[in-house]
Amino acid sequence: MNGTTAAAPLAMVLDPAERGHHRLAWLSTVDHKRIAILYLLAGLFFFVVGGIEALFMRLQLALPNNHFLQPDTYNQLFTMHGTTMIFLVIMPLSFGFVNYFLPLQIGARDMAFPRLNALGFWLVPFGGILLHFSVLAGGAPAVGWFSYTPLSETPYSSTLGVDYWAVAIFVLGIGSISFAINTIATVISRRAPGMTMRRLPLFTWINFVNAFIIILALPVLNAGLAMLLIDRQLEGHFFLPFHGGSAVLWQHIFWAFGHPEVYIMVLPAFGIVSEVIPVFSRKPIFGYEFVAGSTVAIAILSMSVWGHHMFTVGMGRAADSFFAITSLLIAIPTGVKVLSWTATMLGGRIRFDVPMLCCIAFLIQFLCAGITGISHAVVPLDWQTKNSYFLIAHFHFVVVGFNMTFIIQHFLGLYGMPRRVFTYPDLPHWAWMNMLSTAGAFFMAAASLILVWNLVVSFFRGKIAGDNPWNAWTLEWATTSPPPHENFDALPPIRSRRPLWDIANPDRPDPVVGKDTSEIESPDKNKVGILTFILSEAGFFAVLLLAYLFFYARPQPGPGPRELAVGRTLVFSLCLFASSFTFWRSEIAMSKRHRGSMLGWLALTIALGGVFLIGQGIEYWKLFQTGVDVSTNLFATTFFTLTGFHGLHVLLGLVALLIFLWLAWLGDFALGGESAFAAAGYYWHFVDIVWVFVLLTVYILPLLR
Amino acid sequence: MTTYQFLTTAWRWNSTLLLFSALAFAGYFLAFRRRGRPAYFGAALVIFLFALLSPVSALANGYLFSAHMVQHILLVLIVPALLLLSLPRSFSLPRSLAALSYPFIGWIAGVGAMWLWHAPALCNAATASRAVFAIQTTSLLLMGSVFWWQVLAPRDVDRLSPAAGIVYLFTACTACSILGIILTFAPVSICPVYQQPVDRLGMLGTIRGNWGLTSDRDQQIGGLLMWVPMCLIYLTAILAQLARWHSDPTRAPGEI
Repeated sequence: MNGTTAAAPLAMVLDPAERGHHRLAWLSTVDHKRIAILYLLAGLFFFVVGGIEALFMRLQLALPNNHFLQPDTYNQLFTMHGTTMIFLVIMPLSFGFVNYFLPLQIGARDMAFPRLNALGFWLVPFGGILLHFSVLAGGAPAVGWFSYTPLSETPYSSTLGVDYWAVAIFVLGIGSISFAINTIATVISRRAPGMTMRRLPLFTWINFVNAFIIILALPVLNAGLAMLLIDRQLEGHFFLPFHGGSAVLWQHIFWAFGHPEVYIMVLPAFGIVSEVIPVFSRKPIFGYEFVAGSTVAIAILSMSVWGHHMFTVGMGRAADSFFAITSLLIAIPTGVKVLSWTATMLGGRIRFDVPMLCCIAFLIQFLCAGITGISHAVVPLDWQTKNSYFLIAHFHFVVVGFNMTFIIQHFLGLYGMPRRVFTYPDLPHWAWMNMLSTAGAFFMAAASLILVWNLVVSFFRGKIAGDNPWNAWTLEWATTSPPPHENFDALPPIRSRRPLWDIANPDRPDPVVGKDTSEIESPDKNKVGILTFILSEAGFFAVLLLAYLFFYARPQPGPGPRELAVGRTLVFSLCLFASSFTFWRSEIAMSKRHRGSMLGWLALTIALGGVFLIGQGIEYWKLFQTGVDVSTNLFATTFFTLTGFHGLHVLLGLVALLIFLWLAWLGDFALGGESAFAAAGYYWHFVDIVWVFVLLTVYILPLLR
Repeated sequence: MTTYQFLTTAWRWNSTLLLFSALAFAGYFLAFRRRGRPAYFGAALVIFLFALLSPVSALANGYLFSAHMVQHILLVLIVPALLLLSLPRSFSLPRSLAALSYPFIGWIAGVGAMWLWHAPALCNAATASRAVFAIQTTSLLLMGSVFWWQVLAPRDVDRLSPAAGIVYLFTACTACSILGIILTFAPVSICPVYQQPVDRLGMLGTIRGNWGLTSDRDQQIGGLLMWVPMCLIYLTAILAQLARWHSDPTRAPGEI
């Protein structure tokens, strides 16, 4: 329990078996705990990077009329700071916590897809490098973390900064989606016997719900980024007003992602607080069902409140009122959570250890930040404080909660200081308020250094804490610390939400939750994984389709839907739809072990998919012949984007099917091959269904006019 | 006509509807006697009559798309839900109607009722012709009932499991939200009849002037009504599913 040998850290870093031969053990790891630590280290690294950027900004703002930084450098700094902190710090850090604890909490050996997990992590440094490479390629993006168009379009940001930004965020978005798919598949398919969905620890439940927000929100952003890149690289017109595009459309797309993103960042923290407070109050959580249910309410409401980021855009009073109401409503489930946490503490014998102190500070800070947040739902107030330091103070208060730096910024905002200005005139009170805020920022940097120092010292020389130092009752404490490679040797029986309490107190166990059974259904992880992936893809295509419709309703001069060959496309579409049928036949043949028949139907499926792609190719070729390409007008931009991305998905599906064909050709599938084949089939059918919608929208809708 | 005059005089007296409602109420008592839950049935009838006889109906009849949307939501979501809740707890579908109890059919009915009747041609026709309007009203009530059957069927065995119910409701909510988003941001009129109303009641001046409802803003409000308050109705149902899931100790807790 209290040994402090020097060998201990090394033993934690590498298994004895790995020391001799496996030099890349951490680079090639697929163990969820190691990946989690990598996520946390990456988050910490980028926290230092983003923090230094913030310190430079605060230094520049410390004095009025300061010229320590050039205006453009300042713009690059706040763009990189915001992007880094959100996509490279908060999200990786929360993914790290989830990755470490979620499988342990449900008694799983690992995440459902360990290699996908590793991919998701390695996309973080890859995205980080892409983003920062922009500095070498002509300058970092200088358009703010939400990259409003038309400022972020080529005529106004001609260097490659925005392109690197968009590609980096796109890559990071893919990583986040893969992580969310993994989380959902793990919770649904990898729970230990007895760990029913009603017995899930709250941290797991909240992050399970959060994964759905990620699945629904990130693809919206990725669709927008694809459109922005098409504008910038292929001279498309989505967001450029002087060619009929809509700059406001970008704002809708961005905030349709951006507001759920707020909850993506904060819900993991809610999950941690929901575990820490009961343990240190030595009571079960008050109102488990309410904490769990309010998370679902937050998730759903978060999808329809984005307009409150756009009150100053001029959406009209009607839209403003509706978004104000939903934004106010979302305070209710959040308030339910805060009440549950405080009620848990009420009457508990609270242990004021560091984790509990952090949680209490969080509660107070979050309450204050939440109240200033509600003020942003009130339209007239928002008109006054939008894009002032009041807003900066509000959201930093939610995520950082450092009083010296940020309390004063509320007043700076109310005194009228706008955000994103590189310097300011010497107006009454502005100078000392800014100086105070800067001094606070350096205190915060010192506090962060202490945290890092503490981590390092604890790692090398810290007292060993033991397996369950705080008497917690959930499964992550049922194993050794650190847990062995596959987490558990044996699991206790799980009949309630606190299985370890039931063992420690056999005379007064928690009431059994639900039916007293250890049987659970664990659906096939491949099917769960592919269905969640399809959900994310559906969101992606929904945005592209809506963008198409949005511009279809505003016809531009030049080519339009009448240029398209409807008859020919219908024929090729029939090939694609027929391929769903042939795939189904192939599956039946596989289940009956008719290898030849299975290979034949699969080959026919691939051929039909190929014919469809050739049909699309002919359509494109004819359009190119008449001088129509992505840059011609908005119809062409939206048409090529929508059908192009669909074609790309068909192509990917074909590659997957070809791999299956090759595997099937080589011999019988190994065990589990059938479920993977069925999963590929789901994806293939989905691609066909998307085409039904594209066909109806692009080809059939104009005929009805 | 001023707003006050309008709100006091725009109530319609429709003998057919009132007689139909009275007969339905009597029929309900005859059919179910003391097993029924007449409060729900009464509420359903009151809201049904409110949707069709009140000033909302007068506005929906050619003046305001947003009023039409209120009427639409009441008829497709609120009235059918109350009707299903009013059934005795032992009620089950006759075998001839068993086809209606497939979740897929219910989902298509609920979402289809929203999308189908907002195709410009159908939306116009329902305002122009009383026969089409009658068909619309009947179909909304029926499709709404088929939709809600999966969630509010009297017997627990006829309902979806809570987890499946949440997926059912959430996807329906998303599908309707997308239509709401399209209506909100569409630059063209989805239901052109509301752009140039025939001013039968002499109300147009008040609506456009005093209420400030231009036809663009009117459609925007209609879209937002479909998007936001309807989503809240689905959200309420989703929370009810969660409550049912967490409160039932006999149900096998690990449905998934």
